[in-house]
Formats: sequence, C-alpha cells, structure tokens
Amino acid sequence: MPPLLTIDHHNGVPAYRQIMDQLKLQIATGLLPPGAELPSTRALSTALVLNPMTVSKAYGLLEHDGVLERRRGQTLIVRERPPAARQTARLDPLRQQLTAAVHLARQLDVPPAQAVKLFRELLES
Amino acid sequence: MTPHPPAPSARPLGLRGVTQRFGPHTALRDVSLELPAGRIVGLLGRNGAGKTTLLHVAAGLLLPTTGTCTTLGTPSEKLDTPELTRLGLVQQEGRCLEWMTVRQHLDFNASFYPRWDRDLEKRLVEALEVDPKRKIVQLSPGDRQKVGILLAVCHRPALLLLDEPMSALDPIVRKRLLDFLLELLRDDGCTVVISSHILNDVEKIVDWIVALDAGAIVEDSPFDALQESFAEWTLTSTNGSLPAAFAEPFVLSHQGDARQALLRVRTTETEAAARFAAAHQAELRARPLNLDEMFPLLTRPRKKQP
Repeated sequence: MPPLLTIDHHNGVPAYRQIMDQLKLQIATGLLPPGAELPSTRALSTALVLNPMTVSKAYGLLEHDGVLERRRGQTLIVRERPPAARQTARLDPLRQQLTAAVHLARQLDVPPAQAVKLFRELLES
Repeated sequence: MTPHPPAPSARPLGLRGVTQRFGPHTALRDVSLELPAGRIVGLLGRNGAGKTTLLHVAAGLLLPTTGTCTTLGTPSEKLDTPELTRLGLVQQEGRCLEWMTVRQHLDFNASFYPRWDRDLEKRLVEALEVDPKRKIVQLSPGDRQKVGILLAVCHRPALLLLDEPMSALDPIVRKRLLDFLLELLRDDGCTVVISSHILNDVEKIVDWIVALDAGAIVEDSPFDALQESFAEWTLTSTNGSLPAAFAEPFVLSHQGDARQALLRVRTTETEAAARFAAAHQAELRARPLNLDEMFPLLTRPRKKQP
C-alpha cells in the first residue's frame, strides 16, 4: 500500500516539504521500514493530485539526504541506516514540536523548571 | 505560406520586451518571460494589471506594439496551422456559435484539429457534467464556461492558456478540472498558464508564479521559493521596546505596538528570524503565508532594495 500522505495546500508550507516531513515521520516511526518501496513519482503525484515535479523534488531531496535510495531500475526504497542516524531521525520531529512549545513557554513567562515538570508529567501520564 | 513542422524542443512561450498599447493606454510594459515545457504557471495580478492582454499576445490574438512574442517556437505574427492546432485558449467570455448544440459545436471544432481526442472529450463531458444535447444559447454561465474548456482542450494542446476559466464553476467541477489539468501535464507534458483569482485552486497545481502590476512583471519565481521566503512573524518584546517602524528591508508590512508586533516579511536567509529576534529583544514565532496572503505583497510595485 502506498504511504498515506495528506497535503494541505493552504497552509503555506510547500507541498514537497510536506511530503518530505511526512515520509520522514513514517520512516522514523517504523511505519515505513528499511527496504520498503515507495510509489513511483507518477503514481504518487496521481494519488495526491499533485504536479509530478513536486513529488520528484521531494524524492530527490530525500535521496540526497540519504533517507531514500534508488535500487536497480528506478525503484526508490527506504534506506537502511545506522542506529545513530535512526536515533536522530526519531528526535527531529519531536525537536520541531518542542521548539514551538519553548517559544510559547517564554511568551507565557513559564519558568523552565515548571515547563520541564509539565512535560515530564505529560510523558508519564 | 508553407507549413513548417512544429519544433518540439522550442520553449512553448517566450516574450521579449513586449509592450502593448491601446491608443493612449499601455496594457503591457516591456514584458519579458520565458516558459519551459511542462510548467503550470499561475498568472496573478489585480484587475486591469494586463493578464488578459498577455494571454492574448501569447495566443497571437494581439500583435505586440513593440517587442516579440514566440509561441510554440514561432513568432506570433507567423502563427499558422501547425502551431494553432497545438494551442488551447479558454477566454474569460468565450464566444460560441449560439445556435448550435454543445454536440454540434464539439463536432464543428473537432473538424479543425487532427489530434482531437474523442475519448478525452467523452470523459470530460461526463466529468464536467455537460449535457451535449442543449443549445449553447440556453446554457448557464457555468455551463458556458465548461463548454469553453471542452472546446479548448480536447485536441490535447501543448500550450494551454486559461483566462479565469473557473469563476462560474462549482467546487466539485473545479476540483475535477484541476485533476484533469494535472493529468494533461503528466501525460503530455503540456504547459499551462492559468490566470485566476481563485487562489485556493491556483496554489494546488502551479509550480511557478508570474505576477503583473500595471502592465509590468513584478514577480517571476518558482512557487516553492515564494512559499519559503514569505512569512508572518509574531514578535513579543521581552522588555516592551519594539520600534514604531522596522528599518529592515525585508519587512513588508507591520502592525502592533511596543509590546507586540505582527510583520509580513520576505527573506530567504535561514538565520534572519533568529537575528531579528535577538536584535529587537523579542520572542519570534514564524508561520508561512498562503497564496491569498501573499497576493497583495506579490502584486504591488517592487519595493526598491537599498
């Protein structure tokens, strides 16, 4: 089954960027394991109703970043990565979300100790 | 005139220094534009900015007062059957033969085009929900627009020019039309120029934006790059000392007071936000702008960079 992606055309984030972020997240969570095949540019752009150039840009950049690799023929697969890289890939999306939370905490003048305590409580609840 | 074979490698559209005058009125000023094949261009501009004139020049309906327009590899004054049968134009108020039925009009147009695709026609008649038995004169504005589209695309054009093609179409039909345009792009590598104020639709399919203001091009950029350079920044001062105006040239608009400010900015520097926040001792939250929000910033005269 092709990866389930949803593109929001109205949030100002380039569609290629949304594809990249969602694929990275699915790979980090193990939904797309190493070796999993990705749909062709044509198939994915048809499924998502996107300009094919958008999909090929996302694929190209993920390949460049070492997240995907091209196997014999043209098929793109999820690349097997060393544990350290996998760990970073898992932390990246979390870091993104927490950065927004940090800004909010500062704006609300919540002391760091209290913010960390809240995060811990939420984690453990 | 001897017919010449179309040059497939040629750029679908190129304008060089095109100025178009109508009496004392200048509709296009020194417009230069190059479109490579397989691109979907959103042509933006306020009313009267010159969008329709530009599309008419591209289609050869108008010859530039000065400058040159090359369409499908041929100067527009020399456009002939080989190019015209690969060109599609949907006009804002397309003229049809009113007494014909939709079916008759489709057959009439098909007779001019060797590449008219009957299967495509059948699919589109269904997708756009057009009744071929009805007379053109009886059609609602929306149905007229659908017929205008059918007549302009069933020959699988290499260059498709769309002038407000969907202003009267309902959202369901509009979505089907967008799907179809992407299909043309995937199957044929068709180049599409679409002028529309329905920006929610435009942003779903375009990969390039060209904006006009008072007849001059004020923007000619990849859509991705625009999305990545425009942003809204919410600033919250840590000490209540935000200035009344910001001198940074990338700040395009500003509202707020000494404690909080809302800015619209355009910058490609990755560190710009962090440095700006530090310089003004403020917390900064950034979010990208959608095309609706970009429109007023894109379609105004270019700010002179110091």
